[in-house]
Amino acid sequence: MIVRWKHLIIGAVLLPVIGLLVGWSGLIGVGASSGHWAVTDWFLHWVMRNSVRTAAISVDAPPLDDPALLPHAAGHYETGCAICHGSPTQPRSEAVLAMLPVPPDLKMVVPTWTDEELFQIVQHGVRFTGMPAWPTEVRPDEVWAMVAFLRELPEMSAERYHEVSGLHPPPMEGEVSPLPITCESCHSERKLSASSLIPSLAGQSEAYLLESLRAYSEGERPSGIMEVAAGTLPEAALPDLARYYARQQRPQRPPLPADQALLDKGRMLAERGRPGEKVPACLSCHEKAGANPVYPKLSGQSRPYLERQLNLFKQGVRGGTSYSHLMTEAARKLTDEDIAAAAAYFAQRRVPSMP
Amino acid sequence: MLGALFVCLSLSSCSGVQSALDPAGLEASKVATLFYVMLAGGGLIWLGVVGALFYATRTGREPHSERSAGRVILWCGVIVPVTVLAALLSYAVWLMPNMRPWAPGGEGGLRRIEVTGEQFWWRVRYLRADGSLLFETANEVFVPVGERVLFVLKSPDVIHSFWIPSLGGKMDMIPGRINHVALEATKPGTYRGVCAEFCGPSHALMAFSVEAVDAAEFEDWIASRRAGRPAADPGGLELFLRHGCDACHAIAGTTADGTIGPSLTAFGARGSVGAGTLPNTVEDVARFIRYPDEIKPGSRMPSFGMLPEGDAERIAAYLKGLR
Repeated sequence: MIVRWKHLIIGAVLLPVIGLLVGWSGLIGVGASSGHWAVTDWFLHWVMRNSVRTAAISVDAPPLDDPALLPHAAGHYETGCAICHGSPTQPRSEAVLAMLPVPPDLKMVVPTWTDEELFQIVQHGVRFTGMPAWPTEVRPDEVWAMVAFLRELPEMSAERYHEVSGLHPPPMEGEVSPLPITCESCHSERKLSASSLIPSLAGQSEAYLLESLRAYSEGERPSGIMEVAAGTLPEAALPDLARYYARQQRPQRPPLPADQALLDKGRMLAERGRPGEKVPACLSCHEKAGANPVYPKLSGQSRPYLERQLNLFKQGVRGGTSYSHLMTEAARKLTDEDIAAAAAYFAQRRVPSMP
Repeated sequence: MLGALFVCLSLSSCSGVQSALDPAGLEASKVATLFYVMLAGGGLIWLGVVGALFYATRTGREPHSERSAGRVILWCGVIVPVTVLAALLSYAVWLMPNMRPWAPGGEGGLRRIEVTGEQFWWRVRYLRADGSLLFETANEVFVPVGERVLFVLKSPDVIHSFWIPSLGGKMDMIPGRINHVALEATKPGTYRGVCAEFCGPSHALMAFSVEAVDAAEFEDWIASRRAGRPAADPGGLELFLRHGCDACHAIAGTTADGTIGPSLTAFGARGSVGAGTLPNTVEDVARFIRYPDEIKPGSRMPSFGMLPEGDAERIAAYLKGLR
């Protein structure tokens, strides 16, 4: 038979119609119970691995050996990830194992990916699998912390996991389990140190804490970790939480070592700013007697946390309270050295004692 | 009739607070004279050219002899243009030393006012004879009538140009260098200075007021700007400090000493808010505090629309009370 143009055109019209008819008939099964054909399974995974590998080409991993990266990532893992992927204290449930595809046991798969590929998967998720994207795209620092945690996860003991995530140890027989992850799991003063990336909340201004919790839960302050943590709290609980932390005394920790020249530069910035470059003095808003309580207290806060916040402000992505854009403007002209100096200065500055 | 009306209307726009044709200063009157001389010279040349054209098209239809053609070229192409241009040029060059002092060092004895073009306002610093700061204000310049003052012109960011049409100028303000212009007001009055070099989205919204006053009034003004009288409402000052306005703004006589934004000492005595953008009323100042970027696009002041109800108005009323 000779194939003519007419046949091609009829085919081009008929084939989609047949396809639609098959879809309409309901004969295609979407049940997870029967699983994929082996070839489909192979093909989908092959495409996924290739896609992640190619996307990761343009990603460069920062150093990931800082132990301060682990606690908030571990706490978030317990809140958001362990339910599907299991954890050192808890295997995947039967319900999760009936998903299609089955969320992998990370002990087995993490070693098969590079850091950059893990970043790609955690940041963007995987389509058609149930693996969600990170809640915000402007906080790669959080995603890298998660990658650092995932690297350690395959070898992690249950005790270490409890310690690093702040998860309460399992209850004794007959005891009711307390809330598994709470604010205290990460923000407890006992767990914090001078090198923490997690801020100390003790003694922070109540108005600032309340506005910040609202900003997190409404997405005004981007953070995959805190949006999930604060977003699940009832609105009515936020004022109590803010008051609870505001009434505590922030401890004065010995700060990370910093040379005197850096501290002097930090003090200059704090007290005088650099008016020629439109950098105002930090202390004209922060820690000033009679100042707006929405301006946070900085003294005694950990240096890495302050540095990270200043960097986020400088990049223009920090967000926060309804006053946070003032800080975005103030941080615009800060250099890396300014940020290190200001953070070092406030980390060692004397914490005012509670009235 | 209509023509006369048109001429009247166009001439009436030549006077006012910002007109180079209504001079109130030595330099500006030189510029105005130069303009009128050039206008007269240009008018004569225009008449000559139009006359020659008329002659060529209407009367002189026959070919010129070689001799008369040569004569036309000699007179109209060489002698008249050279004479006219040489006269105008000599006059302009003769005027120049009066308008632009050759050596700023030679102006050492003059009172110095440092003006810095910012985005988008004017930082005005009155200096002592030794160059130290007497006081700083913003968007307002007072000069004593009959005294030549030296403006020291700077810019930290982009090129601006300092121009007070009624007194003289203009002179560019260029980042990385210092320019000078000396001006002398001859008539007391209120004038308006503007930026004459495109400098950003609010270029057209940066003006400053210029007051030429007699010597006694000038000394009074200096004293008022140096001291800064406390305003009636200390609650307004409390709010000003509470929200951190002092990070950028200074008010003499208070703890507010920020120098990033314009000084607000004696703000209530100024005619406008936002460098000549809005009239200085409590409503407009409060509006400026809340939405500076809507009023002046590209303004470096962050918006304070989030202030609690009434705070911006109370701060505005406090500022308005500063004299």
